[in-house]
Amino acid sequence: MTLQQEQSATAATADSRRPTRLRRPPTFSAAYLAPGWLLLLAIVLIPLALGLWISFRNGSLLSPTSQFVGFTNYTRLLTSPLFWDSVRVTVLISALSLAIQLPLGFVLAVVINRELTGTRLFRSSLLMPLLLTPVAVGLMWRLMLNVDNGVVDGVLQQLGLPAVDWLGNRTSAVISVVLVDSWQNTPFVMLLMLAGLQSLPAGPLEAARVDGASTLQTYRHVILPLLAPVGLVVIMIRIIESVKLFDIIYILTNGGPGTATQNMSVFDYRLGFTFLQTSQAAALGVIIVILLLPMYRLWKRANSQ
Amino acid sequence: MVLAAVTALFPIYWTMLTSFRTHIEIFAQPPKLFGGPFTLDNYRQVLADGQFRASLSVTVFVTVLATAIALFTGAFAAYGIARRQAFLGRRPFEAWLILVRAMPGIVLAVPLYQVIVARGLYDQPIVLAVAYAAINLPFAVWLMVGFISGIAFELEESARVDGASQFTIMRKIILPLVAPGMAATTIFVALLCWNEFLMPLVLADQAGKTLPVYVAGFVTSRTIDYGAMAAAASLAIIPIALLTLAVQRQLVRGLSLGAVKD
Repeated sequence: MTLQQEQSATAATADSRRPTRLRRPPTFSAAYLAPGWLLLLAIVLIPLALGLWISFRNGSLLSPTSQFVGFTNYTRLLTSPLFWDSVRVTVLISALSLAIQLPLGFVLAVVINRELTGTRLFRSSLLMPLLLTPVAVGLMWRLMLNVDNGVVDGVLQQLGLPAVDWLGNRTSAVISVVLVDSWQNTPFVMLLMLAGLQSLPAGPLEAARVDGASTLQTYRHVILPLLAPVGLVVIMIRIIESVKLFDIIYILTNGGPGTATQNMSVFDYRLGFTFLQTSQAAALGVIIVILLLPMYRLWKRANSQ
Repeated sequence: MVLAAVTALFPIYWTMLTSFRTHIEIFAQPPKLFGGPFTLDNYRQVLADGQFRASLSVTVFVTVLATAIALFTGAFAAYGIARRQAFLGRRPFEAWLILVRAMPGIVLAVPLYQVIVARGLYDQPIVLAVAYAAINLPFAVWLMVGFISGIAFELEESARVDGASQFTIMRKIILPLVAPGMAATTIFVALLCWNEFLMPLVLADQAGKTLPVYVAGFVTSRTIDYGAMAAAASLAIIPIALLTLAVQRQLVRGLSLGAVKD
C-alpha cells in the first residue's frame, strides 16, 4: 500500500466519524478556547485596539494630554525619509538573507538527506545556533567582529587580507547583520527543506530514474519544482522574521551606523522608546500590521494546499 | 559538511574560550585559536555581581510561570481545535494566533507599555510572565494540536461508551498519551521565554531585569569588558545548547506553525 493510499484511507475513517464529533453543540466546544481568548484579550486585543486609537492622537511620553489629530501621524510617517529608510533596510535584509539562506539551507538539507556516516552528529551541530538566545548570539558576534581584537579580522590579516570595520561602516554593517542572522537561522531553512525532501512522492523520482535522468537533471526538473511550495513557505517566514528582527540588530549595531541597519522594528522601538513619540510609534505599528496582512493571506493559502 | 559544522560551532567555541581567558590573552594579536593559560576570573566577576543573581532568579521565575500559563491555556485550545470540527470562534482564534506569530513584538510593546504603566503594573515579573505566555501561545497550541491529533479518536469514544466522563477521559486517556508531547512543548516554550528580550526591555526596569537584558547591558556600557561579556553570554547559552539537542525533532513543527504538514 502506498503512502497516498494510506492517507486516503485515514481520511475516509476521519469522514465516517465526523457525525460523532459534531454531536455536541458548538458553544460547548467554544468553551475550550475561553482561557486562550482571555490571554489574547488582555495582552493582544486590548493593547492593539488602544494602539489604533493612540495612532490618531498626538500623544507622547513627554506631555500628559493629547488631542485627536486624524491621519497626521500617518502622513508625517509616510513623508519621512526615516520611514522609507527603514522600509529599504527591511527589504534589503530580507532579500540578502533569503539569497544566502535559501540555497545554503537547501544544499545542507540535500547533504543530510543522503544519510552518510556522521550525519546525525553533523545535524546536531548545525542545529546548535538555532535556539540560542539572540542577545547572546549578538554578543558572540560583537566579540568576533569588533575592529580592535576581533578574531575574524585577526584571521583575515593572518591570511594577508585587509581588516574590515565590520560594524562601523554602512555597507559592512548590513552584511554583518545578514551574516549573523544567517548563522542563526539557516538551520531552520534546512529543517523545513529536509522535511520537504523527505515527504517527496516516490513516483516522479522513480520515473526520472527509469528515463535515465542524471542526478543534476533530477534535481533541476523534478525535485526543485516539487519543493516549490516548501520554498514559498520558507520565503514567507523569513520575510516575516526580517521585519521582526530586533535583538540581533539592537546588540550588533543598534540600527547604526546612522540608520544603515535600522529596520522597521528597530525604527518603531526608537520612535516609541528613544524619541518618546508614542503616537507615531503606534501609527507605524498599524502600518506594519497592514503590510503583514497580505503575508497572512498567502500563508493561509499555502497552508490549505 | 565539515566546513558547515565548523562554521556553526566556532562562534560558540570562541565565546567559551574567551570567557576563560585573561585580558592580555583576549587582546593578543594575532588571535590564538586554542590553548591557555586559562582563568576563572571572568566567571568569578559575573557570579559575584548581585544583579546577575537577581536576573537569573527572575528569569527562572518568569520562564516557569509563563510556560505554565501558556501550556494550561494552550492545552484547552489545542484539544478543542484537534477534536472538534467547526465551532464558534475557532477561525478568528486561529487567525489571531497567526497574527501574534507574525507580528513584530514592538508593534505590541508600544501600546502594551501604555496599558501597563496606566494600571501601575510596570516592572512586575508576573506581568512579564503573562505577556510571554500570550506571545508564545501560538507555538504551544500548534505543537499540542499536532500531538493530540496523533491520538486515535476511537480510544476516547470507547471510554465514553464505557461511561467515562469528559474529565476522566482527559485525565486517564489524553494526558498520559500526550505526556511526551507535552514535555517537548514545555521545553520548547520555556526556551522561547528564556530568550525573550524586547518585552522585559520595554515593560520592566530593575525588578524585572531578565538575563537577556542583563547580558545586553555589557555592550551598552561605555567600555566593553570582553572577558566578562563572554562569560555572561556563555552562562546564558549553555543550558539552551543542551536542551536544543533534546527537542530537535519538535523544532520544525513548532517553528513553522503548521506551515509544513508532516
